[in-house]
Amino acid sequence: MSSIELKQLEFNFGTKDWGLENINLSIANQESFVMVGPSGGGKTVLLKLMAGLYHPLSGQLFIEGQDFHQLKLKQQQALMFKMGMLFQKNALFDSLTVLENVTFPMAEVTSLSAKEIKEKALHFLEEVDLMHALDNYPDEISGGMQKRLGIARALALEPKIIFFDDPTAGLDPITSRKIVELMLQLKKETSATTVTITNDMNRAFQLADRIAVLVDQELIITGDKEKTLNHSDPRVHQFVRGLMEGPLTGWDS
Amino acid sequence: MNKKFYDIVTDVGECLLFLKSVSHCAITNKVSSKLVNEQIWKVTTQSASTTALAGFFVGAVMTVQFTMQVKEFGALGYLGGLATSGTIREIGPLLIAFMLSGKIGAFTSAELGTMKVTEQIDAIRCLGADPIQEIVVPRFIGIIISSFFLLIIGLLMSVGGGLLMGQVFSGITPEQYIRHIPSIVTSFSIFNGLLKCFVFAAVLATICTYKGYTTTGGAKGVGQSVIKTAVGTMICIVLADWMTSYFSDTALSLYMEW
Repeated sequence: MSSIELKQLEFNFGTKDWGLENINLSIANQESFVMVGPSGGGKTVLLKLMAGLYHPLSGQLFIEGQDFHQLKLKQQQALMFKMGMLFQKNALFDSLTVLENVTFPMAEVTSLSAKEIKEKALHFLEEVDLMHALDNYPDEISGGMQKRLGIARALALEPKIIFFDDPTAGLDPITSRKIVELMLQLKKETSATTVTITNDMNRAFQLADRIAVLVDQELIITGDKEKTLNHSDPRVHQFVRGLMEGPLTGWDS
Repeated sequence: MNKKFYDIVTDVGECLLFLKSVSHCAITNKVSSKLVNEQIWKVTTQSASTTALAGFFVGAVMTVQFTMQVKEFGALGYLGGLATSGTIREIGPLLIAFMLSGKIGAFTSAELGTMKVTEQIDAIRCLGADPIQEIVVPRFIGIIISSFFLLIIGLLMSVGGGLLMGQVFSGITPEQYIRHIPSIVTSFSIFNGLLKCFVFAAVLATICTYKGYTTTGGAKGVGQSVIKTAVGTMICIVLADWMTSYFSDTALSLYMEW
């Protein structure tokens, strides 16, 4: 059974100038799936569609075999409980401390005692090396620490599916590498299905079992590193190699 | 023109649907009493001083105005009753609503709007929790309950302001001022004041949470939500004032006939 499946998904924001059409995709259990593509192409929108945060105009989203948008709110929430998400701009709760950001999900949706919640939160914060900043607020810590906190929060409910929206955006190469190492380590420990968006091809190759390129509102599933690098579509070829000339820039730069 | 009218009608419709989902959530789901209490405390403490000050001067102004009317008829003894009745039936709830609109309405709208544009609301949904239940309902209930506390504070202060002005301006003793309050302030006056207080607070809570929750467009969008909240609540509160006055007076006359 697929972890996530999209069937003929269609979505737009109510205007005709941009939209996703006929998106078909199946992500297997424990797979590490990475999406790349030009900025503004709709990767984040597609990720949010997969996470059930947006409602498609037509088509179906299956999560663990269940047709998500046909379920009642409580059933949808029960499925979302199994997902974790690291947002592009982190979306940390700015009125809560580092520790509270991680305890919040557990306090809201589990029946664990306050002591158990704190113990688990401290465990996750130790994993992401944030024990020294427990009482700080998100705007008092650095960008890399915010990313790590976002990862700790996403892991708090021990999800089976984790979405990472551009986890290394805006970070220096060393911090960026640390985050990717952390993601790989956590992936090994949790065996979760992961869906990651990135524009950094090296990171994509490091993380992915399978890669897809979203270009011109079309999702082209290219496969592993070798297949992606040797893909026949000229748009994929230009994007993954970062060429100035090609169909994405009108051939002539 | 047609597009603007269509947008307004759509906005009103969506706001009513939002109210429906908030009410449904408040009735059917367990809402954290800790979060509600926090909101009640926050709203009451943030607005108590301004409400008290405004209440004091409203009582004083009402007393001055009524003095001019009742002095001609030699009915200064009824001054306290008339001023208090006017305050509890009309000015008090309206004053509280305007105070809350400017302070708490704008604050709530900006707070929820910021949470929306920084994806914090999506993050709550992604954790399997319901953002309506977690962040909207506690604020909604908090605003409504606090408005009653603020009404009491405003009313007590308006009596205080009236007493002082009665003595200084009208030359009546505090005992004379208070004597006829129980006979003029009837149970209907109190019911009317409480009804208005509830309706205005519900209108304010609905608009500010709806505008905040549906904010789009970054910092500019948050600013626009705050402006729309301020303008929308003022218009809707005045409209609601007319409706509650009309319907409660009609209901009273029907009851008297019956």
